[in-house]
Amino acid sequence: MRFLTDNPASEPTSVLYTRCTVDLDSGGLLMEDVPCRNLEDVLGGFGRSFQMLAERDIRSAYVDANPLIINVGLLTGSHAMTGMRTYFSGYSPIKQSKKGLPAAMWSAGSGKFGAKLKWTGLDELVIENRSEQPVYIVIRETGDRPEVTLKPADHLLGMTTHEKIMALQEQYDDAHFAAIGPAGENWQNVYAGAVALSTVNQLKSKQDKVRFAGRGGMGSLMGYKNVLALVAQSSDKLGKTPEPIKKANINVIKGGGSARLQPIKRGGGGGTWAAYDVLQAFHAVPVNNFRPQGNDLPERLFRTKVEQQYEIKSEACYRCGITCHNNIHERNADGSAGAFLAKFDYEPLNLLGTNLGLHEAAQVAALIHLCDNYGMDAITTGVTVSYVLSYNQRHPEKPLLNGASFGDYDRIHDLVKRTGLGQLPEIGHGVKRLSESTGETDYAYHVKGLEIAAYQPETNPGYCWAIAGGHMSMGTYGMLAREGKTDLDSWVAAITRDKLQIVGFDMIGLCKFFDIVNGIGTDMVVDCLAAEHGLKVTREELQAAVKRAFLRGLALEIQQGYGKEEYCLPAEVTANPNHNITLPDLTTPEFLAELEKRVWEIFDREMQELI
Amino acid sequence: MKITVKLYAVLQVGRYREKVLDFPVETKVGAVVNSLDLPSEHVDILLVNGRHVDREFLLQDGDVLSLLPMVEGG
Repeated sequence: MRFLTDNPASEPTSVLYTRCTVDLDSGGLLMEDVPCRNLEDVLGGFGRSFQMLAERDIRSAYVDANPLIINVGLLTGSHAMTGMRTYFSGYSPIKQSKKGLPAAMWSAGSGKFGAKLKWTGLDELVIENRSEQPVYIVIRETGDRPEVTLKPADHLLGMTTHEKIMALQEQYDDAHFAAIGPAGENWQNVYAGAVALSTVNQLKSKQDKVRFAGRGGMGSLMGYKNVLALVAQSSDKLGKTPEPIKKANINVIKGGGSARLQPIKRGGGGGTWAAYDVLQAFHAVPVNNFRPQGNDLPERLFRTKVEQQYEIKSEACYRCGITCHNNIHERNADGSAGAFLAKFDYEPLNLLGTNLGLHEAAQVAALIHLCDNYGMDAITTGVTVSYVLSYNQRHPEKPLLNGASFGDYDRIHDLVKRTGLGQLPEIGHGVKRLSESTGETDYAYHVKGLEIAAYQPETNPGYCWAIAGGHMSMGTYGMLAREGKTDLDSWVAAITRDKLQIVGFDMIGLCKFFDIVNGIGTDMVVDCLAAEHGLKVTREELQAAVKRAFLRGLALEIQQGYGKEEYCLPAEVTANPNHNITLPDLTTPEFLAELEKRVWEIFDREMQELI
Repeated sequence: MKITVKLYAVLQVGRYREKVLDFPVETKVGAVVNSLDLPSEHVDILLVNGRHVDREFLLQDGDVLSLLPMVEGG
């Protein structure tokens, strides 16, 4: 990026980002410096990509006119801790309105690919049309401009995400990688293909410790375009950390905000896995397709149980002191860590574990391993499989697919594996389509066509207004458990003002764990922008930019045919309330109707003002 | 008065899951939390008999006080 001003909010056109547009049909490449239109463009991520997507008339995800936009944020590759995010945006194969139009989606991932991409000098790569032959794209730092080339990728076909990355590592020094797996390659039958991003740990250890841009099927879109991988090759650019950023980084670690995510051995909370313990206190851990039973089944996957048998290694992303990864290894006879099994984050652990009736760590690890290596979204896959199991429970006389039931590991493993290989479009096309084909939609746990995260919808009416991944684009998912608030005013304020600010992290290049409670409109971020880029931006300007980006996302949903009746929770929540959950019940029809009315009053007005 | 204190997740580490403790009558939740010497950055959710309270809440004999860290996504 080039900064010809220190005031990007007032003079955004004096900030230019470097964009390369690749036309896979003609092989043409256009490298240009593009002036930013507004602060959202400056920040980057989906704040910029959604403005491009809004200009396109896209009726189906698998059309040449649907671009895949890969970009970074203003603080990707910076000295700020967690500044490593890459964003993938496009019209989604999986998320779709009832009118059949694809929703615009983004997903974000960590690892070191984003920093390496930024250090090539490229801020954004737009992939247009599709290639007849499989290719991978190399973005390389040169003395002058970044160089982008297309390379044949036939030799990568069929490889897992990890295998592709290992193969490319042999060829490219000082590089990091983004790759799809067999799921993305089988885009016709898998709409939730994910993009794997390499990590320093992975390249060093040769273990499949990747990170993912998982949600929304961006890996399937990449597969449709016949792009199997990306290589970002550049020298590392970080020198001495400026004092204000050092101070911010120390605050991230020691200030308390990320304490719950840090290793237990360091006095931290042990990462997102701890959500199991907390939610179980309210019997709100999803069990058997989001039907908690009020018993202690979820406790079998508590950390304290798993660590009796397995070694848990606390590891980190590149230069991140939070160290939130919980990597599960076999335990050798001498007590040392043996073979790597899987990374236990809350969502995949639950949605490929307890929510499928599986309570053995090794079995869940095997399913996570499959999703990671085939390159598919664990949330979409897990929730769609849990629907199958729930359907089969209801219809034992005529079950779906292989007749798998809750807890039936072998058959569940078969479903996940065959989905990843593109052999089961019934699952690969997601739970909305599957449930519509069976005619039983009440217990399909999606909102607006995207499968929900591992937070019971009874506890989170905010899901309805999430504009991308259900919990990462609307931060209300822990609100009821944490604060116990049941009044309308609190929920309206949370949805329309406070908790939507979480999406700011998917613009600026920082991981949400930088400051998940407060968003990016903080003094810490202001200081980082000043120290890293010499920019003067206020907290209020950042918050306003995030709000505008969010509203654009909402407006884009409506542009893609979403009716307001689609902003609703899965029907089973109100049709068959679960009294095992001991949190207050927010999902009475009266509460939800009034919440909808008040939220839309605000959002409708604000979208109008924005337009 | 007797208060049952329940600790969750990281708050249990090096301590206990559940214990019955003695406190003077009209002790507030905050005073109990302070007396337990817990890492303050992890004490986030306060429940008495399953209901959310704040530190000013006055405990009664036989109450169950549950202390939990914050829920985090991912």
